[in-house]
Amino acid sequence: MSDGSLLQLEEVSRIYGDEVKVHALDRVSMSIEAGEFVSIVGPSGSGKSTMLGLLGLLDLPSIGIMRVTGTSVRDLSDYERSRLRGDVVGFIFQQFHLIPHLDARRNVETALLYRNLSPGERRRRAMEALDIVGLAPRSDHRPVQLSGGEQQRVAIARAIVTKPKLLLADEPTGALDSSNAANVMEIFQDLHTPIRAIAIVTHDPAVAATAQRRISMKDGQIVADEQLRESNGSTSFGGTMGDDGNGTLTAPEVSG
Amino acid sequence: MRSVLDLISVALSGLTSRVSRTLLIMLGPIIGVSAIVAAVGLTESAKGDLQADLAELGTNLITADAAGSFGAQNPSFPEDVVERVSSLSGVESVTGVRALDGIITSPYDAATTYYTAFPTPVLTADPGFLEVMQIELLSGRWLNDFDYENGARVAVIGVDIANEFNYLAGDNRTLLLDGLEFGIVGVYDNVRLADAFNTSVLIPPLAADNEFDTGLETNTLYIRADPERVEEVEDNLPIAINLGGSEEVNTSIPSDALEASAKADSTLQVIVASMGILALIVGGVGIANVMSISVIQRSAEIGIRRALGHGRGLIAWQFLLEAVAVGFFGGLAGVGVGIFIVVFASRIFDWTHVLDPVLVIGSLEFSSHSMGVPTVYLLGMGAALLTSVVAGLYPSVKAARLEPLETLRLG
Repeated sequence: MSDGSLLQLEEVSRIYGDEVKVHALDRVSMSIEAGEFVSIVGPSGSGKSTMLGLLGLLDLPSIGIMRVTGTSVRDLSDYERSRLRGDVVGFIFQQFHLIPHLDARRNVETALLYRNLSPGERRRRAMEALDIVGLAPRSDHRPVQLSGGEQQRVAIARAIVTKPKLLLADEPTGALDSSNAANVMEIFQDLHTPIRAIAIVTHDPAVAATAQRRISMKDGQIVADEQLRESNGSTSFGGTMGDDGNGTLTAPEVSG
Repeated sequence: MRSVLDLISVALSGLTSRVSRTLLIMLGPIIGVSAIVAAVGLTESAKGDLQADLAELGTNLITADAAGSFGAQNPSFPEDVVERVSSLSGVESVTGVRALDGIITSPYDAATTYYTAFPTPVLTADPGFLEVMQIELLSGRWLNDFDYENGARVAVIGVDIANEFNYLAGDNRTLLLDGLEFGIVGVYDNVRLADAFNTSVLIPPLAADNEFDTGLETNTLYIRADPERVEEVEDNLPIAINLGGSEEVNTSIPSDALEASAKADSTLQVIVASMGILALIVGGVGIANVMSISVIQRSAEIGIRRALGHGRGLIAWQFLLEAVAVGFFGGLAGVGVGIFIVVFASRIFDWTHVLDPVLVIGSLEFSSHSMGVPTVYLLGMGAALLTSVVAGLYPSVKAARLEPLETLRLG
């Protein structure tokens, strides 16, 4: 694996507990390249959540080396690691995790705080991201005033507003009905560009099948790492939306 | 700088999203600071009239008492003392009085026994008495030239003795001095700088000499000095009075005693202000308590903020600033409530409200203003802020220590 990898794990273990040691991850090596669309699958207890925590820089390996854009995360302070997390990773959660007392726009703006942006610029970028997921008209709605699908789209807008290199999604369709789930997966396809990798942690085979690459986990180890499709972005069935290559997002057509 | 503004707006949005809870925890600082402000303001307002009087009466009155040489009976000043003191540099006006010993005053014959047991002071007074003491006549007239030149048996009496003798304005009344009838011609107002005069009877010096054989000397002088030179005049008085002779002269400035009594009464201030500080502390515990619970309730929010790249430090600052905002706005509201209490109570008790009181803590005395704001408000705000910072420390550290992985329920 070259230093050019977006994310790289070398012999990484994550061990919990003091007396009784639980190896949630056991000597895992793998990497994710820029622009890849990866799914991570496995039953509960397989270590995929632990993997998600590591990939999202929310956790550190107990043993082994993890590099993000070539930098070993172990050497970083909390501040630097948080910074890197904010710059590189965009999170999407099963439970959406919008901040309940903020409206959609301010939820999206939360990702842009402490970045030396003027309020006007922050607002402009947030509206741009909301427009991409088709929710600009509902920017002043609070989470309770939005449906589950809409909430997840706000969460996606929040994840992409920082133009991260990696979208990290944890069961993004787990709390949605099938039509909203299809809609969200469509958005993911649209958001997949040569410079934006997507990693989805899921136990849903249908969701996993939309990815180019599928990593299967069991008992803290990778048991299969399959390339399902070769192309980059060609699986998109949302059509025209994406990234123009300069980091500027263009509006998609989103139904629902 | 923008990050600081971001932090402030995040902290404020956290507070405004839970208005009733925010108002509840603001009660501590509000009660504490308003108690401190009200305690200091009220005690100052209560004695504010005294200070207003001081300003009106002036602090430039000096008294000089004849103490005589050692062991002297009935010490007195030389006859020309008023002229001599008048010519002293810095003196604006002078009046002399003489306290007459052993003269029994009585409203009528049958009461003489009673008033022998409780004697009323009788003094002679110069024409300049009212002017120097800065008092007015309540009724009647002052001793006139005829009275002075002929030693007429007339008296002007203090307002308290007038009440005591049940003298009504316009009455054609007499009182008895050692059994001799003196006509009451006037009643003068309260003498706040020398309240012994309120129960005194003043008569012309010549009348005293004629009837009681007292001589014409005075034994107490009241002097108004140039306000800038009061101390200088006080120092020079003994020499001017006795020209280096052996007679002792006691001088004093009556307003000093009034000023001292106005300042000494800070006990109530201390008690109520202590209760305010107690309320602040209890309020601080409340803030810490509610915010700790809030940190648990908002653990998902904290997790997501961490996931979005906000470091532990920013999370800690966010919650600390929420606490500080509670202290700041609570303190501000407390100052407002305190001012309201002072103004409202002053209206009820008919005081002149003092909104920029001098604050006395133990032997420390704070001037009423610093940086253009009354010091007590700044100290109240400071106490509220300090309390809220201390109260916010534990919750904010607790928030910063939360592990995002545990609060976000991944997988």
